[in-house]
Order: sequence, then structure tokens, then C-alpha cells
Amino acid sequence: MKPRRKAVPGMRSRRTPTVRRIRPAITPVPPTSRPATRPAGAAAPPASGQAGPRGPEPALDVLGGRPVRLAVDLGRGLVLTNPVIAASGGCGFGVEVAELVDLPRLGAIVTRGVAVKPAGGQPAPRTADVPAGLLIGVGPQHPGLQQVVDRYAGTWARWPVPVIVNLGGASAGDLAEGARMLDDVAGVAAVEVNLSSGGGARVFGLDAASTSSAIAAVRRATDLPVIAKLTAAAGDLRAVAKAAEEAGADAISAINTLPGLAVSADRGGAALGSTYGGICGPALKPVALRVVYEVVQAVDIPVIGIGGVATVDDVLDFLALGAVAVGVGVAALADPMLPVRLADALADACRERGLEDVAALVGTALPARPGPASTRGAEYAR
Amino acid sequence: MRLAGAELVERREVLPGTFLTAWHAPPVVTGARAGQYVHVRAVDPGGLPRRIPFPIATADAATGVLTLLTSGTGWAGTVRVGDRADIAGPLGRPFEVDPRSRHLLLVAEGGAIVAVRFLVDEAVRDARSVVLLFGAATASSVYPTSLLPDEVEYVVATADGSLGHRGSVADLVREYEAWADQAFAAGPPSLLATLATQAAGRRQRLGVATLGRKRGGGRPPAAGSTEARRKAFLQVAVGQSIGCAAATCLGCAVEGADGVALRACREGPVFAADELAWPEP
Repeated sequence: MKPRRKAVPGMRSRRTPTVRRIRPAITPVPPTSRPATRPAGAAAPPASGQAGPRGPEPALDVLGGRPVRLAVDLGRGLVLTNPVIAASGGCGFGVEVAELVDLPRLGAIVTRGVAVKPAGGQPAPRTADVPAGLLIGVGPQHPGLQQVVDRYAGTWARWPVPVIVNLGGASAGDLAEGARMLDDVAGVAAVEVNLSSGGGARVFGLDAASTSSAIAAVRRATDLPVIAKLTAAAGDLRAVAKAAEEAGADAISAINTLPGLAVSADRGGAALGSTYGGICGPALKPVALRVVYEVVQAVDIPVIGIGGVATVDDVLDFLALGAVAVGVGVAALADPMLPVRLADALADACRERGLEDVAALVGTALPARPGPASTRGAEYAR
Repeated sequence: MRLAGAELVERREVLPGTFLTAWHAPPVVTGARAGQYVHVRAVDPGGLPRRIPFPIATADAATGVLTLLTSGTGWAGTVRVGDRADIAGPLGRPFEVDPRSRHLLLVAEGGAIVAVRFLVDEAVRDARSVVLLFGAATASSVYPTSLLPDEVEYVVATADGSLGHRGSVADLVREYEAWADQAFAAGPPSLLATLATQAAGRRQRLGVATLGRKRGGGRPPAAGSTEARRKAFLQVAVGQSIGCAAATCLGCAVEGADGVALRACREGPVFAADELAWPEP
């Protein structure tokens, strides 16, 4: 038997691998204390949660050029370093894309939908190509909220980006239970309530009363910021948004996918195993813009625009209609770095226009006086 | 996974509406194995950035060229020689050939042949005998022999009987199942289900004795492990549409034998036949 080599102090072992040190091309900005830009009247962050801003102060002159302020306050202490977030479904639970994405440069990450009870998802096939988009019928697939928290929250807590959990449930009680489980968890920055979920045929987001009960239940169960995610399938979105605001939502995200259908290649049935799927991608953008336009005029809380964002022009469109932030969903599947590049492009767009704060781009396309509601169908004919 | 800015060096129509495209992408070719796929960034006319999965048809490490079988429609119909594309890969888990297997049976139908095509090269390199059974609708859509190495025994079945055996390629498998040490298949779900059912009854039909501790004894390898796949008689490459290739979108799920959804992009696209749940063929 070969004797083990003894370590001689001061002598370098021959087996030590050479570590090549590569100097980063960009010197990282050292994290400073929390931004001092919070409005005086804003609510203080809860002492229990991790809802506060954890990223560095958005000094965005890293690549040269004038600094542009991109930070967005979504209320209750949830401050994003920039207004581009990875929307629910586009990045799983975040850990899957952690190696592919420059996390500190994301505004926030929203997890895929979870609920208290585990779910196995829909049968295959789960995606179908549709013009200018993708029809997705994945369905809820997760190991249950407790498992998700146990597995991932520790990782989230170490990340320099706020992680928002997308929460679904069959009843208001389910939602409340889920929100309670998330309440004190380090690493969870906010809860996004999926109002397109629900038990059986009843979906919360379709009418104001159900929305109100769902959001109120979550509001009572947690001190975290609560974001209500609307569905465009509702009849009167202004009333639904108003109900969410009055029930205690801190922000609104709009919209979720719209239910759709595709026919299989042999025309023997639906293309998806789940029959119905959700339409994502640019096909959804005009609907999302319409919803944001209506909701922004109905409520005073911040609105996050989601639906078909793939280029910086899409981001600017949503901001012009009054959204303070945008979510990138299906487009991030092919290109996980897209949200980060959109944030950079947004800063450039501000510089081009000589603006120092992205807030100056918000709401430029809104009418001086609230416009009429759109959703009655017949009104288009006028 | 590696990213490469690949250049299209050749594109020719090998079957009506099907093109063999050769891309120069050395970083992707390095270490690529049969059964793996690449994810090609395509531009959708509707403005949605998409990546399309393509099984690697061949990969030549010496020249850094990989070939893919593409359709002539959509993005793939617009590319021309000299165009560049962003290719990520090699992705997914490859076919696992048992080092002791001398006789490999490859079964494919239609365009899915591309998923087992690279395995032919690997088997010939390793001096294994290969039989490739191929099924097509009609003679005009039979994969050309000129694109296969000479060492392969190539047996064709067509649905209309215009070339080779008349009927399904699955009918040919019986003849070879005693000869084969391992089988590898790619094709539509119905074909794979038929083959999986046949493979499950193979040992009994052939009267293969199970000699308890012959293979080293001990506990059998965990389902889904490389070891378990290497020992499986039938491995299949599923043709699921892969959206993100990062295991985030869960769009490529396949139902596992225990009812749990497996992701073709991460746990696949190659599976041992007994890992998956098969509908009645």
C-alpha cells in the first residue's frame, strides 16, 4: 500500500488544482443600504417577513451613461429594482433558471402556481403552437405548498431578487391557509393570488363578490404584500379590480392566460390533453393592454401588466397605459435572460428621452378623463 | 449545455418537404451522444421568440458539423446556407448501450428516424451489428439508404406495401427480437406503446431464464438511473414538444409508470420502456 503523502507546512500540495481567476468584465456595484426613496407616507415593511428590498440600489450607470432610476414601489415595502419581472410559469420555481439568469438584475421572480394540496398537472400533450403564441395546458403541477416552501424558500432567501409566490386554491379557505403558510417564511417577498383558480366551475376572478372574498381571506391571513392576478375572462373588470383593491390587495397584475382551444393535426380531437389551454404570447397582448387600460383607471393601487411582452416596445406600451411594472411570461422560455435585457433596454429608452426616472413613462397614453368601459361587446359597434 | 452561434453550411431536400440541414457548431458537437437533442432559437412570425427541439441526426466531432432533419415550413423553411442560428445543446439524456450488447435493433417510423440515426454511427464505430427497421406511409417517404452507413441492415415496411413489408414496422420486430441484445425505438406514441408491450413479453416468449444473481446480484438499480437504462432491453426516444429545455415550463411531460409526470427535456427524451406508462395499443 502506498503511504499517504504527508502535508508539509508551507509547501503547496502538488494536487492542488490551479484556479484560474477571471476578472469580471463589469465591476459589480457594491450593495448599499436600502433605497432612501420610499415615499414618506408608504407603509413600513412588516417586521416578520422578508418583504423589503434586498437588491442593490439601482445605480444603473454601470455600463456608462446617465443613471436612470428604475425602482418601482408596489406597496407594503415591496420595492423592485426595476419594473421587469419574470411572470408566473416562465421560470418555474426560479431554481431551474438560476444558472441561466443574472438574478440581481431581475425586478422580481414569480413562481409557477402552487396551492396547499399537491397537483399532478394535465395529461400530455401540454402545448400547442398557435399563431403568434402558444397554447399551454400544463395545469397546476407542484408538490404542495409546504413541500415547495421546504425545498426552495431557503434558496430564495439568499437571492438578491424578491420572490413572489403565485398562490391558487379551490376556495377562499384554501387561499387563506396557503397565505398563512407563507406569512412568516424568509425568502417569500409577496403573494400573488391567482384569481383564475377556483373549485369546479367557480373561478374567483369572474365576479366582484368572489374576488372580494378571496382577496379578503388572503389579506387577513398574511402581512405580506398581496397581488391580485386578474383574468380577462371577467365580465366587468373595473368592478373586479375595485373589489380586489377594497379587499386589501396591494397591487394588481393583469392578465392571466385566456382559455383557448386548438384542434389536433388529424382533427380527431383537441390538440391538448387537457382540451382547453391558456393562450400566451403576443396573441394575448391587445387583450392585456385593454385590461390594464381599464383597471388603471378604476383603482389607485399599482398595476403590473402581463401578456405577450417580448420586446422593449411591448414594455413601453404597458407603461404608457399606466402599468408600473411588466411581467415577461412565455417569451422567457426560449430566452431566460430576456427580462434582464428588457430592463436594460428600458433604461436606454429613458436615456434616449432624457428621463431620469422610469415613472415619467407611466400613464402617458391615459386619457385626461376616464374612458368608457369596453367589455359589453355591443359597445364596439357604436 | 453549451450555446453556439451556428452557421448553416448545407441544406438539401432529402424527402418531400423534409430537409437535412448541416450546421457548423463545434461547441455543441463536442460530447454529443445519440438520443440527445439541440434547442434552436427560431423567430416566430408572430413575434414570440421560440426555441424548437431537434434530435441530433449526426454529429461529427472532427469537422464540428451536426445535422438536423427539419421541415420546410415556418422558420426552418426560411433559413438559407450561410444563415446563423443560436443552437443550445447537446441536451437531454442519451441512449445507453450496454457494453456487452453486440446486436442492436433500431426501430423507427417516419421523421422520428432522426432520433435513432446517430445511434447507427455510434454502433458502427463500436463494431456492433445494427438492424434498422423503418416504417413509412409510402415508398416516396422512405428515408434514403444513401444517408446511412453501409454496415447497417436496413429493413423497410410501408403502410401501402409500395416498398418492403406491407404493414406496420412493429410486425417486423418479432423476427429480430431473439437476435437483438437491445432495442432502441423512436416514433409516434402508438408505435412505442406497441413495442413496449412486445418487449415486456419478450423474455417469456424466448424462454430466457432469470438467473437471480447473474448480473452481480445486489439491489437492482433505481428506475430512471443510467445503470437501469443500460440494462433495459427497450429504450425509446419520445417526441414531445419541448418548450424551455430548462425543466421550468413542464410542457414536455410524459406520464411515468408510477403516475408521476416525467419531463422529456430533463429526464428524457430517452427513457427505458418500463419507466413510462403505456396506453393499450
